[in-house]
Amino acid sequence: MCHVYLSVLGMDWLLLEKGIWFGFAALGFAILFNVPGRTLVIIWLLAAMGGLTKIIFLNYGVNVILSSFAGASLIGFASIPMAHYKHTPPLIFSIPALIPMVPGAFAYRTMLGLMNLTVIPTNESYSQILNETVSNGFKTLFIVMTLAVGASIPMLVTRKSSAKQLRIKVKKP
Amino acid sequence: MNKSNSDIKEVGSVLLEIGALLMSSGASSNRVRLTVDRLSETYGYKTEMLVTNRALMLTVTHPNITEHFSRVKRTSPHGVNFRLVSGISRMSWRVVDEKWDISQIKDELKRLTALPHYNRLLVLTIVALAGASFCRLFGGNVIEMAVSFVATFIGLFVRQKTHKLGYNMYLCVFFASLSASLISGLSIKLGMSNTLEHSFATSVLFLVPGVPFINAFTDLIDGNILNGLVRGMNGLLVAFMIALGLLCAMFIYQF
Repeated sequence: MCHVYLSVLGMDWLLLEKGIWFGFAALGFAILFNVPGRTLVIIWLLAAMGGLTKIIFLNYGVNVILSSFAGASLIGFASIPMAHYKHTPPLIFSIPALIPMVPGAFAYRTMLGLMNLTVIPTNESYSQILNETVSNGFKTLFIVMTLAVGASIPMLVTRKSSAKQLRIKVKKP
Repeated sequence: MNKSNSDIKEVGSVLLEIGALLMSSGASSNRVRLTVDRLSETYGYKTEMLVTNRALMLTVTHPNITEHFSRVKRTSPHGVNFRLVSGISRMSWRVVDEKWDISQIKDELKRLTALPHYNRLLVLTIVALAGASFCRLFGGNVIEMAVSFVATFIGLFVRQKTHKLGYNMYLCVFFASLSASLISGLSIKLGMSNTLEHSFATSVLFLVPGVPFINAFTDLIDGNILNGLVRGMNGLLVAFMIALGLLCAMFIYQF
């Protein structure tokens, strides 16, 4: 049954599996940043959710920058109720959960491209390397920007300065 | 209320210490300002603050006190420590709600700064697992994941060790990047994998300056342009050092 839903969404299990790895990647950074122990499980969940959102959007052919923005803002909004639940500022959840989405691949290719550009051009591939490097560089820049905006979007939209003043109301049935 | 000159000095120096601790453990400039304002308001003081990356400048005034407190404090470049950020945030609200006095804040600060870090072996293992996860996200197979695990483990170990020896922080990143990419490059030389990107590129991802970059843009959005630029530049330097380490490994292995 589950498989039917997945095929309707146009995904396979490989995509879902990536959510697990997004979670573990975030967990590594959470431990590195010495977060309080009570937040670890939630960071894993948030990172998996955000990463899956990004992958699902990418799978539908959405631009990588917008997909990252969708994932990041999901993490941003989800971190507010979690902050109330665990009595800790939302950035403790959002920053480790966002870091697996930092475009390491694009940054790596940008740096490699820049290094290649220092070689004296001898053939036509120089302009191709230049094109790719500029494209990768701007992708890196814009994705990191969208991550930061996504994390702070609940505060910006509600015009509050602290998450303590911000209660997301849940209607009880 | 009978507040004296010694009171304002005590409050001022505690506020400065809190600001410096927050700044060096990875809070955004706006958070530093908000926390200090929140605490000083509960005691009826008015604060004006200049927040920069490496130093804080604070002036505290009170309508009933003739003297004012004004001092600069350098912030120490410690690593990111979210346990401290979380603890100080919690404390600041308890100060407001439960009307703590200054000595209680001092005790709590002493407790928070003494809180232990995670066990070193646990940190190394979990971060190495994160490296393997990155490898899987890039599409690596089990062998490449294992290589990434080992490379990240040793890379982080080198970083901690060189940091302890007191090397420049950017040089520590370079050493870590070089050792991690040398190990993952060796696996490619031995023919364990034939795609360069999988284990080679992902073994250094644990060094990615995520907190400087995200905080840089948070500061820029909040209007602290100067702090944002400084943090962004710091992140770029770290990224450059990672690339330099990778490049050296590529030169050694002639990729």
